[in-house]
Amino acid sequence: MTLPTAETRPTVETLLTVEGLAAGYGQARVLHGVDLEIGKGEAVVVLGANGAGKTTTMRALAGLLPYTGRVGFEGQALGGLRPDAIVSRGVSLVPQGRGTFSHLTVLENLHVGAAMRRDKDGIREDVERWCSVFPVLAERSRQAAGTLSGGEQQMLAVARALMSRPRLLLCDEPSLGLAPRVVAGLFEVLARVNREEGVALLIVEQNAELALSIAHRVYLLEVGRVVASGTADDFRGDETIRRAYLGY
Amino acid sequence: MTLLDQHDAVGAPPASRRLPIVIRGGSGAHRALQVALVVVVALVLFAGASAEPFRVGQLTSVLIFAIAISGLNLATGYTGLLSIGHSAFFGLGAYTTGVLVVSYGAAPMSTIPVAVLLCFVLGFVVGLPALRIRGLYLAMVTLAVGVAFPEVVKRFEDATGGAAGLVIRSRHLAPPAWTGLTVGQRGLWLYWVSAVALLLVLLLIRNLTRSRAGIAMIATRDNEIAAAASGVRLATMKTGVFGLSGAVTGLAGSLFAMYVGALSPDGSFTLLKSIELITGLFVGGAATLLGPVIGALAVVYLPYFTSDLAAGHVSGVLFGVILIVIVFLMPEGVAGVAGRAVRRLVQISPATGDGPSASRAERATPPTRESEGDPR
Amino acid sequence: MDIFLERLFDGLTNGAVYAIMALALVVVFRSTGTINFAQGEMALFTTYIAWWLTTIGVPLWAGTVAAAGVGFLLGAVVERTLIRPVRRRSDMATLIVALGLFTAFNALAGLLWNSETKPMPSLFPSGLKDYLSVGGARLYIDALGVWLVVIALIGAVFLLFNRTRLGLHMRAVAGNPESAALSGVRTGRILMLGWGLAGIVGSLAGVLVTPLSPQQLSLQTMFPILIYASAAALFGGLDSPMGAVVGGLVIGVLEALITGYVEFIGGTLPQTAALVVIVLILLLRPTGLFGTRQMERL
Repeated sequence: MTLPTAETRPTVETLLTVEGLAAGYGQARVLHGVDLEIGKGEAVVVLGANGAGKTTTMRALAGLLPYTGRVGFEGQALGGLRPDAIVSRGVSLVPQGRGTFSHLTVLENLHVGAAMRRDKDGIREDVERWCSVFPVLAERSRQAAGTLSGGEQQMLAVARALMSRPRLLLCDEPSLGLAPRVVAGLFEVLARVNREEGVALLIVEQNAELALSIAHRVYLLEVGRVVASGTADDFRGDETIRRAYLGY
Repeated sequence: MTLLDQHDAVGAPPASRRLPIVIRGGSGAHRALQVALVVVVALVLFAGASAEPFRVGQLTSVLIFAIAISGLNLATGYTGLLSIGHSAFFGLGAYTTGVLVVSYGAAPMSTIPVAVLLCFVLGFVVGLPALRIRGLYLAMVTLAVGVAFPEVVKRFEDATGGAAGLVIRSRHLAPPAWTGLTVGQRGLWLYWVSAVALLLVLLLIRNLTRSRAGIAMIATRDNEIAAAASGVRLATMKTGVFGLSGAVTGLAGSLFAMYVGALSPDGSFTLLKSIELITGLFVGGAATLLGPVIGALAVVYLPYFTSDLAAGHVSGVLFGVILIVIVFLMPEGVAGVAGRAVRRLVQISPATGDGPSASRAERATPPTRESEGDPR
Repeated sequence: MDIFLERLFDGLTNGAVYAIMALALVVVFRSTGTINFAQGEMALFTTYIAWWLTTIGVPLWAGTVAAAGVGFLLGAVVERTLIRPVRRRSDMATLIVALGLFTAFNALAGLLWNSETKPMPSLFPSGLKDYLSVGGARLYIDALGVWLVVIALIGAVFLLFNRTRLGLHMRAVAGNPESAALSGVRTGRILMLGWGLAGIVGSLAGVLVTPLSPQQLSLQTMFPILIYASAAALFGGLDSPMGAVVGGLVIGVLEALITGYVEFIGGTLPQTAALVVIVLILLLRPTGLFGTRQMERL
């Protein structure tokens, strides 16, 4: 890769530091030492082919998979913590596929998202806020989540993750299986959350062009390692990358 | 297995040989091993037969339980169809023999095919729900069958003697004249009948599990959808396996009727019998050929050694605890662990696809869910 | 008419007990997605504790509270130490552990308190004259007491599931454990609490039913009740508390009426009849009458 890696450090205060992250499933090693950094309020995208280890990275960071290596968030180590403890530190994952509770209502889903919060008034405010950001959720607040369309469920999953007031939101392929128009809307909201609420984003995405449109910086993952990184503009400007991941 | 290509396992000097020793199927060493196995089995059986009558009786019940557990093994061990209702097959086999002998004066041995056939039919019927439901829910259905059996026996009092039970007079159970055994030696006669029956059952299961059908059974257990996608006809296979499983356990029931001579619905045919069979299966080793035999030894001798402690309750606690401990520490059972140890020492290469049991059943236990994690 | 009414009352009382036990099964199923086959025997064990406390002079209500407490601990400890490690492995392993517990708890009760039948005192007035006359039929006070407890319990369980954070988290964990953990729900604690609560409910069922049972308190008391309760839970849908209650009452009443009026089944096949219900429901409507969740089927 021709991309310089020196410039890829965040220009703002560091939020998440990942060093030598290695993880896998049983005997199969998937990650062989991933290094990345995210600054406060930054939007970062991880690109990579199928099987490169993108989802594995996300699941390890969220505490769903045991791993070796160092993960620091706001100066504290996240290694070995359970998923719920990681949520309470301020990192929230929107998992790939359906991250909702299909037999609970939309409102109940949002309340589960606030599971480790105790401030009743704050929770109520947040429910109202996300319902105004995602109007469709307000319309269907009493409906079971399972009856929502795929796009609506993805919005609900994002809103549910935001209910824990994370400072870092991890999104694993949010566009998977959704219609292009729905995806555009979803990314608009993600960008807005990042811009207006200052929530840092780490997004794994197949739809590279769309992801680059809201990202400050990009990491490229291949076979369980970071092989390139740079700003979104760097990536758009690099012909090899463009051919391989953007398709034009 | 690469060792085989490097040198002839039989020719090399033992001292320098690395483990495992690999024996080519069909080779001279393999034949010798097979002959040795037959000799050992025969010696053990003859030794058992020459014990005092009480011991012979105990061993007979081990043989009978081994057959019953082998039947359960077909459905639960190899195919993953959990059954808590096998006490019903055991009971149906026993009562078929009992009723035919007592009410119709049939010769005990002639009732065996009838019992086996009836149990096959019952098994087939019980297998039908397995086409739609699985796991715990299927267990609920088999539970229903197991609970219903004693009640049904009591309901049809005229034939079965109801709650009071059914007694087969010992003169009905006399050994056939050609054996030269007297009525007093019927225990010995039954011992040999059970031994032969067990050997036949083990032979049947060994051949079945190595056939295409056996592979289909194991595939169904490990991944039903993948098995169906590979052309396994789930409907036919599951009902067939349940039928066969019931038939084998029914055979054990039929022998059991001749063994005890007195049947009562609340005695040996309640759910507790099912739990005993399941315990035996998992202690011995599910989906292994010899697991049921080891399990039968445990099921018969454990209560025997603990019975003088406190009216069977100690053995009940022990059964429960052992069952849980086995799940945690030895999910493959005794035969699974022993089999692995033996394979570390000796392996039969599948050159002719005809090795003894120890070389088989590599996948002795159902896979764990963790292993199904999808590396995305 | 009065005979019919008395049979109906009997049925409702038995049905109320089945309903409580079914409720315990539903609580476990809703929070962990498993059927606890050992629920009945764990309840039997704690009922023995309540009985034993009365024999050393402790009032029955205190014994009941103690039984419920032990039931809670047993449920929570069993979940944490025995069920959770094997649950992810396979259904088979879970079931084997439950069967082990079933056998062990039953035998342990026998070991500690022998297998003789014990007369169990009732929480409510249970004399032959403690009855109200309703339409010429006798409605016994202790039966009425059982009905009231059942109504109270159902109300409590309903409130728990639908009005509290804990209940919401339990439903979340039952539906999608991974997303629940990712939302910050402490899933392990929820599972333990679910089993503990089921232990309380089961213990109450045991203390209530034994004085009414023809077997009083013996090692055989709870098993038939578990069978009926399973039928009731499946009938109503394993994830619906309301369904469990309706299922329990329906099965109780059917049992009483069938035993009274259908000669072929008579007094000998009631469990079989209940089980036929289980099988038919599993085959025809696997979600039960009130359930929403698809049971596992292909």
